Amino acid sequence: MITYVANRALQFALSLIVASVAVFALMSLLPGNAAQVALGTNATPEAVAALEAQYGLDQPPVLRYFDWMGGMLTGDFGTSYVTGAAITPVIVGSVQVTGILVIASIVLAILIAVPLGTFAALEQRNWIGVTISALSQIGIAVPNFLAAIILVMVFSLTLGWFPSQGWMAPVEGVGGFLVRLVLPVVSLALVQAAILTRYVRSAVLDVMREDYIRTARAKGLTRTKALFVHGLRNAAIPVVTVAGVQLATLLVGAVIIEQIFVIPGIGSELVRAVANRDLVAVQGIVMVLVLLVLVINLIVDVLYPIIDPRIRTAA
Amino acid sequence: MSQNPSPASSGETNPRNVVTADGIPAAASAEGTTAPGTTAPGTAAPEAAVRPSRRTGVDQRKRTLLRLNASMVIGAVLVILIFALALVSFLWTPYDPSAVDPVARLQSSSLEHPFGTDMFGRDTLTWVMYGARITLMVGIVAVGIALLIGTPIGVIAALFAQYPWGAWIGAVIMRANDILLAFPALLLAIIFAAVYQPGTGPAMVAVGIAAIPGFARVARSGTMQVLGSEYVRAARASNRRVPAIALFHVLPNIAGMVIVQASVAFAISILAEAGLSFLGLGTQAPVPSWGRMLQESQQFLSTHPGLALWPGLFIALAVLGFNLLGDGLRDRFDPKMEARGNG
Amino acid sequence: MKTPRFKMWVAAAAASSLFLTACSAGASDSGESAKKDSMTIAFTAEPANLDFTSTSGVAIPEALMENVYESLVRVDGDGEIQPALAKDWDISDDRKTYTFHLQDGVKFSDGSDLTSEDVKFSYERVQKDWKNALKSKMDIVDSIKTPDDLTVEIALKKPSNTWLFNLTSLVGAVFDTQGTGDLSNTAIGTGPYAIEKFTRGQSIDFAARDDYWGEKPKVKNVEFKYFKDAVSASNALKSGEIDVVSNLQAPELAGEFQSKDYQIISGTTNGEVVLSMNNAKGIFKDKKAREAVMYAVDRKAVLDTAWAGYGELIGSMVPPTDPYYEDLTGVWKYDPQKAKDLVSEAGIAGEKFTFTVPNLPYAKAISEIVSSQLEAVGLKADIKTQEFPAVWLDKTFTKHDFDMSVINHAEPRDILTVFSKDYYIGYDDSKIKKIAEKADTGTEEEYISGMKDIAKTITDDAASDFLFLFPNLVIAKSDVSGIPANRVSDAFRIADLSWN
Repeated sequence: MITYVANRALQFALSLIVASVAVFALMSLLPGNAAQVALGTNATPEAVAALEAQYGLDQPPVLRYFDWMGGMLTGDFGTSYVTGAAITPVIVGSVQVTGILVIASIVLAILIAVPLGTFAALEQRNWIGVTISALSQIGIAVPNFLAAIILVMVFSLTLGWFPSQGWMAPVEGVGGFLVRLVLPVVSLALVQAAILTRYVRSAVLDVMREDYIRTARAKGLTRTKALFVHGLRNAAIPVVTVAGVQLATLLVGAVIIEQIFVIPGIGSELVRAVANRDLVAVQGIVMVLVLLVLVINLIVDVLYPIIDPRIRTAA
Repeated sequence: MSQNPSPASSGETNPRNVVTADGIPAAASAEGTTAPGTTAPGTAAPEAAVRPSRRTGVDQRKRTLLRLNASMVIGAVLVILIFALALVSFLWTPYDPSAVDPVARLQSSSLEHPFGTDMFGRDTLTWVMYGARITLMVGIVAVGIALLIGTPIGVIAALFAQYPWGAWIGAVIMRANDILLAFPALLLAIIFAAVYQPGTGPAMVAVGIAAIPGFARVARSGTMQVLGSEYVRAARASNRRVPAIALFHVLPNIAGMVIVQASVAFAISILAEAGLSFLGLGTQAPVPSWGRMLQESQQFLSTHPGLALWPGLFIALAVLGFNLLGDGLRDRFDPKMEARGNG
Repeated sequence: MKTPRFKMWVAAAAASSLFLTACSAGASDSGESAKKDSMTIAFTAEPANLDFTSTSGVAIPEALMENVYESLVRVDGDGEIQPALAKDWDISDDRKTYTFHLQDGVKFSDGSDLTSEDVKFSYERVQKDWKNALKSKMDIVDSIKTPDDLTVEIALKKPSNTWLFNLTSLVGAVFDTQGTGDLSNTAIGTGPYAIEKFTRGQSIDFAARDDYWGEKPKVKNVEFKYFKDAVSASNALKSGEIDVVSNLQAPELAGEFQSKDYQIISGTTNGEVVLSMNNAKGIFKDKKAREAVMYAVDRKAVLDTAWAGYGELIGSMVPPTDPYYEDLTGVWKYDPQKAKDLVSEAGIAGEKFTFTVPNLPYAKAISEIVSSQLEAVGLKADIKTQEFPAVWLDKTFTKHDFDMSVINHAEPRDILTVFSKDYYIGYDDSKIKKIAEKADTGTEEEYISGMKDIAKTITDDAASDFLFLFPNLVIAKSDVSGIPANRVSDAFRIADLSWN
């Protein structure tokens, strides 16, 4: 177990270094530059050159890379060219926003998918199971931004139950925070729930064929009871896996929903920074996103042996 | 862990194999088999997953085929419909897609314009037909990239893992693959759009690259299982060389899984293109694309909902079609389903 | 096994009940009672920071000018110059020295008094420290003297008809001598409002100042909220979360607000939407090719389809609010047959040219219909969408790597800037240069007739196609008043707003 975790942690660190080089290299390919964007349609070449020098863009890339890495290790992502402000608080703030949004969506998706998927598996041969499967197929096929637009039209513009946009930090008011959270979270969760439902259904079906369930049933337990007593722990593995992947994907994937609902999340910050050619900010944000994905994967990896002792022995 | 001949290398026990395409869990890979890795920890005959299904009785297979038809047939019909739309658009469309007609703008469905017209008076049906081309092109290119790069990576990693001296190479390849996994499609697409300018090209390359790890994992775990099977052991015992084994035993046997993966990845890339176009990072004017149509119809949603309805509907149909096809194919290629059919 | 699962369900139930209470809380949240002393206005372009001295673009002056910072003079909705921090001014006989008399009792938001020293400091700082290239508008200033605390004497190098007007723009902003330490994040000015909170990328909260020298603003708290997406802004207005959409970037949505609950204001701006052609190289170096474009484009149809008919046809680089405006819409009449003839005369039929389109809503929409109209006369546009500002500025604007482009030139009175030789359009300005010089230094009548001459020359040369004047399309709740119909300055003036 310990070697398993240590092994994963080492891989994690190596991945991070490789990823940071990749991010830095990608950034140096960006056409257009921050100095020009800041100075706009009236800039003279001399002014652009002067501002470039001030930003340190005239230094060799290797030096800039180590500068950047050094800063990040101390939690300092540098100062934005465009806003003149430190980037770290922007990243921290927007990661929190997206984090809340995404975690709430995944939790809601799990709350929907686990009962539905289990039900669909237990009832796989009758119309309920078929209906759930069909609905989940359709749910996957609808782009989440379409779902968001329809939700806004119905629940905000027509019924007036929820605001159509906006974000409020929980500290500014829990009521205002929650009421603004509902539509974006539901838009994200519906599609994820549809995906997850299929995994849960499939996992439960697999578990139901396992010998220990058959044994339990032979001992006189009902199918449902046998499943609840013995099977859910095993079905949890694909759920954790998929939920982990969904979490990682949604960190950036939520950007469309963030834009529709005017939510200041990390994806929106990234799009803004790219538009402004705010290189320092883009690098920082991409790096943090990559870091978060790696961390999520690490956590999922570490969770497996906890959920399923057999992996422990295998490792 | 019977399918895993060399448990020493660290990548092997990683059960996170469900990941496909751009890191979005393969929507449909849930159906039938829980994708290879998730059953890995289980003890129930994982080998069966790829073994040629000749052991099953003819009678039973017939029954399976009949039962499978539902998703496969619906999926295939939808996919053929989309392909037909695209192909017909090369020969004939009701109107010229770029022909504007300011007088006939924003019309609802009529005999002249079955799907109505857009803000420039262009025929929406024509645009839907042309849009099918872009949708298919994005899917084909993205899946092509992922398949052609990802599959060999997976096979090679698995082959190296067969030898004590090569295990580390296999592990390194899969580690690199995992790092790629940390760059989701949308992140890559945003950066690519900035580097190479927003457009269909960068969007589909980004989606394709992000889908590589999914193919590599499927190919690797499939290869592992094939290499572990008895008849390959027999082949190796009779001194057949590794490339020959790869070519004659591995590839034919993992083809089914890879096709399934391709079908699912196709569905995902359609959604990704739509999402990117919605952000303005996908297909650009004047090329007709469903994602762009959907994005531009937003301001007409309350007044002319038809403008959003048609591209939205066709996106959904295309995604549904490829997902169902993937399901159907999986059931077809994966004998575990047949086992379930018994139980 | 049982316990954790049970806990999960309980947590789920608790979470869903929280959502329910939240809904009811939200409903009372937007109650009517507290509304009358606050107003929320939606904008599109968001300021990256608060410092227009180093960052270009419309967003920062739109928020800060006339609200936080004031100049000596301002321009009203009819394009007339009005007193602001200067209550009046004298111009010397040689028209080279301006003596401004400042308002008495003006305080900066940090409590210090406005003196002539602040004006001198601010205007000298333009040349010295500004990075925004608009600073060239102050190049003409020779010296600034401060005979006493409330008098400023500004000497120009030569007489100018444009300088006083230029002073109404952001270069005229008066800063506190102590207030320029952190312009990116703090704005200290003499205006009716002070910034209470600036949430980057989201909003700016303005609070009315009790110690403002002029007429007290009527709405106490004003929030500028930034929406990238016009549909989100329009939705927010529909559901009552905001009160005004300042410049609707999806004009088709305006139709949905035709009811007694809302008002639709469609005034003018300084923004000429220009289908610019590269006069210096490529296919449009030939005047015949440019003329073909002028005849091929049906500007009325462009306006009606791409921008829902909001806006005004102008036919030149001059908005109707400028003193030298002249209706030149008749110079180039839509005539596809003539265009076709010119295309074959110029020998460019079927030749591909590069049409760079910034990824802005109006530009993308215009490019679709214009390229179709051009194709109808045998001109094949190769559309290249470019990210705005980064890529468009780099490729089209700076490197002049384009044949045709489309952009809203939003600066006030920018005809001479846009049609100078080094600008991206590459217009041969030898003809207009002399007229311009004479006009600027001459009498006001000479100025107006000279500028008219210039506008006519540029239009006659088919230097570029002036598609339409960008509208000031504002949608507001019907009980909001004081929204200026025309946007003729940098500023969105909030001091005049009130609730009926």
